[in-house]
Amino acid sequence: MGLNVKIRGKAVATFRYIHVDMMETLAQWTPSSPEMEAKLMLGEHIWDVAQSADALGKRTRELRMQLHHSEKPADAYVELLADIRKEPGTAQRLASFYEVLLPGLAERYRAYLDQTDTLMDGPTVRIIEQMHAVEARMMSQYRELRGEVPTLGKVDSTWVKALSQRESQIASIVT
Amino acid sequence: MQDQTLFVPGPARDPRFDVKERWIECANFPPEHPEQTVQFLHRQMNEEIDSLESSARNLSDFPDADWEIRMCLARQCADEARHSRMFRRLFEKRGGRVGQYPVLNFQYRIITRFDSLAGRLAIQNRSFEAGGLDAITAGITQARNDGDFELADLYDAQVADEISHVRFANEWIRKLSEKDPSNLVRIGLAMKLASQAFAEVMGKEGTEGVHYPADRDGRLEAGFTAEEVEITARLQAG
Repeated sequence: MGLNVKIRGKAVATFRYIHVDMMETLAQWTPSSPEMEAKLMLGEHIWDVAQSADALGKRTRELRMQLHHSEKPADAYVELLADIRKEPGTAQRLASFYEVLLPGLAERYRAYLDQTDTLMDGPTVRIIEQMHAVEARMMSQYRELRGEVPTLGKVDSTWVKALSQRESQIASIVT
Repeated sequence: MQDQTLFVPGPARDPRFDVKERWIECANFPPEHPEQTVQFLHRQMNEEIDSLESSARNLSDFPDADWEIRMCLARQCADEARHSRMFRRLFEKRGGRVGQYPVLNFQYRIITRFDSLAGRLAIQNRSFEAGGLDAITAGITQARNDGDFELADLYDAQVADEISHVRFANEWIRKLSEKDPSNLVRIGLAMKLASQAFAEVMGKEGTEGVHYPADRDGRLEAGFTAEEVEITARLQAG
């Protein structure tokens, strides 16, 4: 059985909260990250993430919530977002965003698509598929950046792995 | 020494950059100097980064702003990042390298000093970028006259984006001022202090003899009223 409208709305509103938060994080990092190539990539990705938040916010209205309604995710996920935002080094910032948050979200999109009725919930499915494609491109740009500026790839892999585990241990982000 | 009360600390730059505080400390070649165009493109690359950083700060500093204007600011971030890449591509093609000349971060240091979004938009988009419309439009004509069509095309693409940035600022300054008339006072104060700060950075050397005719069509397209365009045109004509 698929998800009902209320549950779909809560999931979409939660994804919106996360995308607005990610937009603000990238914006906060842009002036304080010294490496020019990183700044320029972040600047471009602010708009990518904002467009996803916008599409999700329009969808919340269609799912009988307020226009651009956001729902706070589970506390553990909110804490993860806050900790990532506080990272001071550019390499750690980028790794936590592009190697932990985005791949984690991709898994959560997949889980949502497995659960929902793709016919009844077609508009959400389209938005998620688009977000997935955009975020895959963002991750690819991050890998290219690491090739261009090798110091940005110098991150403790154990730390990244631990952060990924922390992310994946949060079973559900929807409250 | 600069009056530091007029500025906040600058944004982070990597070690390739030599950041100065005043225009006179930069590489200011005469127009006929062989490196002048490359130096100018390098300077513009950094100015676009400053604009990106200021727009990004507007997103992170005003989380309760209307979603519609946040979307405009997010788009501006991507546009300014793209402009910076456009300038970099061109000066590298012409033999320049990142960090070859000193840069100024006065835009960011002046704009982000203010705690009102309306004030920041008035300085960044409605003043710096609107002034840019006049300069870029004059630059398109000059580049075409010089046979530099590559540069003319870059300016042509840039000015179209800048018009959108000025337009949304004009729209939102009006909305924000209608919603809260005290924003008009904030804008007035911000403009006055920004003007003092700009004069400190540029000095007489950086502004004397630098005048561009008002881009009337561009300014109208960017949401200025006919009366505002007329006043600007008269002021700029001296």
